[in-house]
Amino acid sequence: MAEVRLEGVSKYFGRFKALDRVSFTVKPGEIFTLLGPSGCGKTTTLRVIAGFEIPEEGRVYIDGVDVTFKKPYERNTAMVFQNYALWPHMTVFDNIAYGLKVRGYSREEIRKRVSWALELLGLKGLENRYPLQLSGGQQQRVALARAIVVEPKVLLFDEPLSNLDARLRIRVREEIVLLQRKLRITTIYVTHDQEEAMSISDRIAVMDRGRIVQIGTPWEVYSNPANVFIATFMGRSNVLEGVVVGREANGLYIVDINGLRVYGTSRESLGEGDRVKVVIRNEDAELLEEDRTSPNVVEGKVVRASLIGFAIQARLLLDNGEIIAIYLKNKTTINEGEKLRIYISPEDVKIYKSLETVEV
Amino acid sequence: MVPPSIRRITGALVFQLDTPLTLLLLLSLTIFSAILVIPLASLLAKPATGISMDVVRGLLEYPYVAWPPLGEWVISVDRGDHKLVILRFKDMGIIPNTLIIAFSVTVLATLIGVLVAYVSARYEFPGRALLRILSLVPLLYTPFVNAFVAYKIFGDNGILYNAMIWFNLGYALEITYIAGVILAQTMMFWPIVYLNTLAALLQVDPSLEEQAENMGARGFRLFRSVTLPLSLPGVAAGAGLVFIFSMEDLAAPIAFKVDRVVSREIVRAIVGSRDIEALSVEVVILAGLLLVSALLWFIAVKQYVSLRQYAMIVRGGRWKPRVTRPGLPMYIVIYLAVFPLVVFSMLPQLGVLVYAFSGSWLGVLPSGFTLDHFRELLRDPNVISGLRNSVIYSTIAITLIVVISTTIAYVVSRVRVIGVGVLDLLATSPLAIPGLSIALGLVILYSIGPFKGSFLDPFSNPAVLIALAYSVRKGPFTTRAVYAGLQQVHQALEEAGMNMGASRSRVLFTIVLPLIGLNVMAGAIVSFVYCMTEVSTSIVLGALNPAQAPITYVIYEYVTAGYGGGAFIHLAAAIVTLIMVLQVIAITISNYILKFRYAFLGV
Ligand SMILES: Nc1ncnc2c1ncn2[C@@H]1O[C@H](COP(=O)(O)OP(=O)(O)O)[C@@H](O)[C@H]1O
Ligand SMILES: [Mg+2]
Repeated sequence: MAEVRLEGVSKYFGRFKALDRVSFTVKPGEIFTLLGPSGCGKTTTLRVIAGFEIPEEGRVYIDGVDVTFKKPYERNTAMVFQNYALWPHMTVFDNIAYGLKVRGYSREEIRKRVSWALELLGLKGLENRYPLQLSGGQQQRVALARAIVVEPKVLLFDEPLSNLDARLRIRVREEIVLLQRKLRITTIYVTHDQEEAMSISDRIAVMDRGRIVQIGTPWEVYSNPANVFIATFMGRSNVLEGVVVGREANGLYIVDINGLRVYGTSRESLGEGDRVKVVIRNEDAELLEEDRTSPNVVEGKVVRASLIGFAIQARLLLDNGEIIAIYLKNKTTINEGEKLRIYISPEDVKIYKSLETVEV
Repeated sequence: MVPPSIRRITGALVFQLDTPLTLLLLLSLTIFSAILVIPLASLLAKPATGISMDVVRGLLEYPYVAWPPLGEWVISVDRGDHKLVILRFKDMGIIPNTLIIAFSVTVLATLIGVLVAYVSARYEFPGRALLRILSLVPLLYTPFVNAFVAYKIFGDNGILYNAMIWFNLGYALEITYIAGVILAQTMMFWPIVYLNTLAALLQVDPSLEEQAENMGARGFRLFRSVTLPLSLPGVAAGAGLVFIFSMEDLAAPIAFKVDRVVSREIVRAIVGSRDIEALSVEVVILAGLLLVSALLWFIAVKQYVSLRQYAMIVRGGRWKPRVTRPGLPMYIVIYLAVFPLVVFSMLPQLGVLVYAFSGSWLGVLPSGFTLDHFRELLRDPNVISGLRNSVIYSTIAITLIVVISTTIAYVVSRVRVIGVGVLDLLATSPLAIPGLSIALGLVILYSIGPFKGSFLDPFSNPAVLIALAYSVRKGPFTTRAVYAGLQQVHQALEEAGMNMGASRSRVLFTIVLPLIGLNVMAGAIVSFVYCMTEVSTSIVLGALNPAQAPITYVIYEYVTAGYGGGAFIHLAAAIVTLIMVLQVIAITISNYILKFRYAFLGV
């Protein structure tokens, strides 16, 4: 089990800065996910670790050894490529055996190890097929088998599920987690899907425009997003603009949103009069049946309601003229035009300074 | 102390390549330097030692420049029952003659090539596919014999003349001398413009034309204001190649008895001299002029002939090209001008077959179908030795070509270092550099100093230099095919290999080459055929030691000996027929393999 450490890694493509002082440490044996929107630099980070790109600044360490300038074939990482990159002119067996041959294993040893990998990934019987004769899911497994069979120090996944259909995606990602638990290979996983990231990761690093903006366990990142970008990226949420008008003794801030007062929490220290963004997740609204007036209870008129499976999504026109989207569970019918009363716990009202600050 | 930029480039190279690949790259660069760059540099530098005011003044006088021009433009002779008109052109001296011929041929070939390409790209008419195939026929290499066929048809007492007498028109026409050369070369070279223009036209985004049409431009105006400018790079590339090919062509001047052109002057000078000191400085200057004008053209169109551009073109039009049905006037142009023109240009190739299979062809009609010439070939020691030499040189050249082309194409397509553009240029430039200049440069460089008397000395042992010259001159065909293949191999496939622990060169051999093997093979086949038909260096270097001369030299000997239709021309035609068959097979195979629509492109 190896530790992977990046220290202040920057990568330029011409004048464009694709990675901006990226630093993180992946603990031995964990699944560490890079999460962020398309184009934020996830693949580039992975390629720097694999040695396909040399960073202009910073260092990369694997197992405590500085590999920044080592060639890809000297690093013992194994990557599962987004499009699998299986060699079309080799059989499944030869694809998986390639790394072992390069490492100079004996025929017998190669046969044994490939067999083990085939078994592990349920590919027995397919060894003489060519990649183009396999389904997407099978190709995915071959790519995975090819990666693990060489006992790499680090496993790298670049959006490995993006070419699979939705059902298969969930099954395969569970299998990846189980396999990783069994083999305990340090794993760096790249995805733009926050649900996927949360379900498989020990820890998540959220990236935005070439920078790491937050690192934490899935729960930490989800429940306590470091900035508005992350808060809106993780799950579905509403962003409202307001002004801080006061602070309670218990630490809660009071924010005025266009005449509506709400209580909420902030990771930052705010002063009265600060312009802020208020983030409320769709699922954090609680429907009140009884008539209650207390802080953070708001009324609104349903302007649009639609079924989204596990809940109904309603768009509420609030008294102050804002429209917010909320999920309503345990409710079977909602009529458009109906008046609703909802409560949002102050814990779930996240307040950020309007001037976007970035924390590392 | 190495300048830092060079250190950075080599550093980046070594990082992105590995030792074996770096060595291969060095080998390729060494061969390019030894066979192309340094010889051409010595060619350009050579006059510096012997030049004087007298030489310069001499170059402005006869035979280099003739002023006033000698001879007659047109001669007409009254022969009682008919009037004979002989189209000739005046002799203005070696330098003006060459430029006038090259210029006229370029203009005519461009007009015809653009017309045929435009018709074939933009109109849908019965016979279009046939037209496209037929227009490739004139591109089949038929060294020397094609020009003799043209002479047979248009020259003194030619078929044209006799046909006009037979029809009793009252007058008859002969096209000879410089006018004949211009005619013959135009017939030979216009398809080069055609192919390049066609490829460019198929690349033009049809919506650009639609947009212009939408704004009211139609017909010729649309063509002149939008279509032509957009396809101009292709036209320019084709025209440039024609200019260069015309300047270095030997066949037509020999057939039409034009002595005073640069190409013949160079060959005459080298063939007649027993060592390098005997070469006059004037001849070297002429070869330098040839080189410089070719390089100017090449630089002007270099983007268009680069590997990158070529790979884009062979993938074919990304759009469905706009085709329309022609109107009545256009139908008339197509069937009464374009088709006859194309068929007319095939006459030399057809004539080669006639010579090859006929007992004699003295009058209008040949007589006596026979296979004797082919039987005779097998018994002729010159032919056998020439063929054997050609096969040996071409095989050696192909081995080198495969190594060099693969290395260069791989580096150009995969390595990100400043200077890769230069490599691309270097690899494609031999297409445009006159072989005569290369040959003379080689003779100059390798017959002096440490090389004198060595195995490289062309005066005693031209074989080595011939094979090496082939590998440089005909390599671009393979380089392009390999490069186009590499564009199809996803980079992730290679990265996956390196990620699994394989070095660059191991990835190249176990992953890349198996995937593009067919491209390498197709390119090598084309290169092989063009090695077998190479003329300029074969003749110049072969003449220095006929025992080591390749087959094209033998053809050259036979056609010059068979002047006027002796038996030798039939023998030469038989050899050329075999070479044509070889070409058709090679082109068919490689087109089939590569699914290229334009394997010939840019010839
Ligand atoms: N080879 C390259 N040349 C130029 N720009 C690149 C290159 N690779 C990536 N980029 C740019 O760097 C940014 C990050 O790319 P990438 O790491 O692929 O993002 P992600 O994987 O997060 O979608 C993008 O804006 C992309 O356009
Ligand atoms: Mg990516």
